[in-house]
Amino acid sequence: MASLPKLNEKYSMFSCITDDLETKGFRFLFSAKDNLTSKDMETRCGSRILEGYRPVFDATAIDRMRKAGGKLIGKNSMDEFGFGTFSTNSAFGVPKNPFDPERSCGGSSGGSACAAALIDGHISLGVSTGGSICCPASFCGVYGIAPTYGRVSRYGLIDYGNSLDKIGLISSDPNKLTEFLPVISGKDPKDPTSCAQPEPGPKGRKIRSAAVPKEALESISKDVRSSFESSLETLKSMGVDVKLTEMPFLKYAMPAYYVLASSEASTNLARYVGMRYGRQDGDLTLKFDDYFASFRSEYFGDEAKRRILLGTYARMAGFRDRYYAKALKVRLHVISSYKKVFAGCDAVLTPTMPFAAPRFDEISKMAPVESYSADYLTVPPNLAGMPQLSVPCGYDGGGMPIGMQLVTDHWAEDPLLTFAADWESVFETRRPEVSP
Amino acid sequence: MDRETVEKVAKTARLALSEEELERYSRDLSEILDYFRILDESPEGDGVGVDPVEIADIMRDDVPGIFMDPYELLRDMKTYENYVRGPKLL
Repeated sequence: MASLPKLNEKYSMFSCITDDLETKGFRFLFSAKDNLTSKDMETRCGSRILEGYRPVFDATAIDRMRKAGGKLIGKNSMDEFGFGTFSTNSAFGVPKNPFDPERSCGGSSGGSACAAALIDGHISLGVSTGGSICCPASFCGVYGIAPTYGRVSRYGLIDYGNSLDKIGLISSDPNKLTEFLPVISGKDPKDPTSCAQPEPGPKGRKIRSAAVPKEALESISKDVRSSFESSLETLKSMGVDVKLTEMPFLKYAMPAYYVLASSEASTNLARYVGMRYGRQDGDLTLKFDDYFASFRSEYFGDEAKRRILLGTYARMAGFRDRYYAKALKVRLHVISSYKKVFAGCDAVLTPTMPFAAPRFDEISKMAPVESYSADYLTVPPNLAGMPQLSVPCGYDGGGMPIGMQLVTDHWAEDPLLTFAADWESVFETRRPEVSP
Repeated sequence: MDRETVEKVAKTARLALSEEELERYSRDLSEILDYFRILDESPEGDGVGVDPVEIADIMRDDVPGIFMDPYELLRDMKTYENYVRGPKLL
C-alpha cells in the first residue's frame, strides 16, 4: 500500500487513492473504475465536469465487495464517461501500459486493467459498454470478464449507455474472477434490469466446442493472427473442438452500437449542467440556456462533445428511424446470429483486439472512425448483452500482450470462468517488470 | 454533416462550440455518418431490441419512505435556504 502513490506517479492507473492506508482487518484489496460511485472517494468519471463530486452512496458492486471484506484502495483512471478505446480521453491522468509506458492500456477501463497487471493478486471492478473490459484486459495481458447484461446491478454506475453497460472484473489471476463474480452478481431491487437474471447454472461446465467467425479474422494484425492460430492448437489439445463459421450480421453491429451508445449517452449527459453534481462554479448571472451551454462546453472533453452531437443528431426528428430505430432492429439480428451459433457449439471465439496496444503517438494520429473501428471484435457481444471473457493468448515481437475473447450465451458465465482457470494451466502468462 | 447542421444540433444539445470546433466536428461527424451508411443495407425485422435480455417488470408496494437523507444530498450543492441555486430563467 505504501508504494502505491509512487507506482501511480509512473503508471497513472488511479485517478484517486485512499488516504487511509490501513489494511488490517480486510480480507482483500480492490479498486474500481471511477464511474462507480463511492462514499469515501471522489467520483469523477474521467471528466472535469464532475470534479468535486462526492457521492453519498456506494454503487451496489462496491458495496457488495466491501461487505465481502474488501477495502477499496482507489478509483481507476478511465476515458471520460467511458468514451474511448485507449483511455487517452481522461482528464485525470492517462494510464500507461505496464509492459511499455509509451503504449496504451486500452479503454475505457484502462486504469483497472493496469492495476490488475501491476499489483499481485489484485481484483478490479471494470465497466463495459462496447468491450471496455476485454480491450484493456487484452492490452495489459490480464483476464477480464464482462458478464451478461443485468447480471450485476448497475445501481450507482454513472450511466453511459443504459441498455449496454455491464459491470465486470479484471485480474491477473483468473481464480479471482471466479471468486468475486458471485460476490457482485445477483438481484438488486434498486436496478430492475438485474432482477430478470436466473440463478447461476451448475458449476464446472466446460467449453467443449467453439466457433470462429471468418469475419473476425479479416482485419487483424500479423502478430495477433499468429498468436490466435497458435492458441487454436492449444485449444485442440485441451479437447475443444474448434470450427470456422460465418456471422455476416456482425458487420452491422459496429454502426448500430455507436448509434445506440451515443444516443443513450447524449440523454444521460444532459443532466450535467453545472448544478447539483461536481463543478458548480459557472456564472449564475447568465440566462439559463447560456449558463448550461457555456458550462458544458468548457468542462466536457472533446470526445464527450463529439458523442453528444452524434447521439443528439441520431435522435432528431427525421433521422430517428434511419439510425436509432434501425440500430434496435440490428441488435435483435445480432442476438439471433449468436443464438444460432450457440445451438451448435458452446462459445464464439475471436481475438480480443485486432492489434496489440498501440503507442500514444500512433493513437494521436487516428481519426475518430479509425479509433471506433478498433472495437469491432468486442462490440458485437456487448451489443447483444452476452457474457464475454478475454484471456491472454500470446505476445508480439516487442513483448506486448495479445488477447483472445470467448463469448457464451446469455447467463452462461460459468463455462467462461471454468475456461479461464483451465487456460491458466496451459498458457504461460508473463508479468510486467514493475519499476516505481 | 454540414456546419449549419452541427450548429443546430449543438444548440439542441446545449453546447456552445467555437469556430474551430464547428469545422472539426462537421468533418468528423460526416466521416462517422458515412460509416453508418451500412445500416441502410441491414435487413428489416419485426421487433426492436430495446434491451439485450428480457427485463421483468418489477413492482414494489407504494409505501412512502426516505431512501436518502435530503440534507446529505444537498451537502455538496450550491443552495439557498435548501433550494438548489441555478441560473436565472428570464
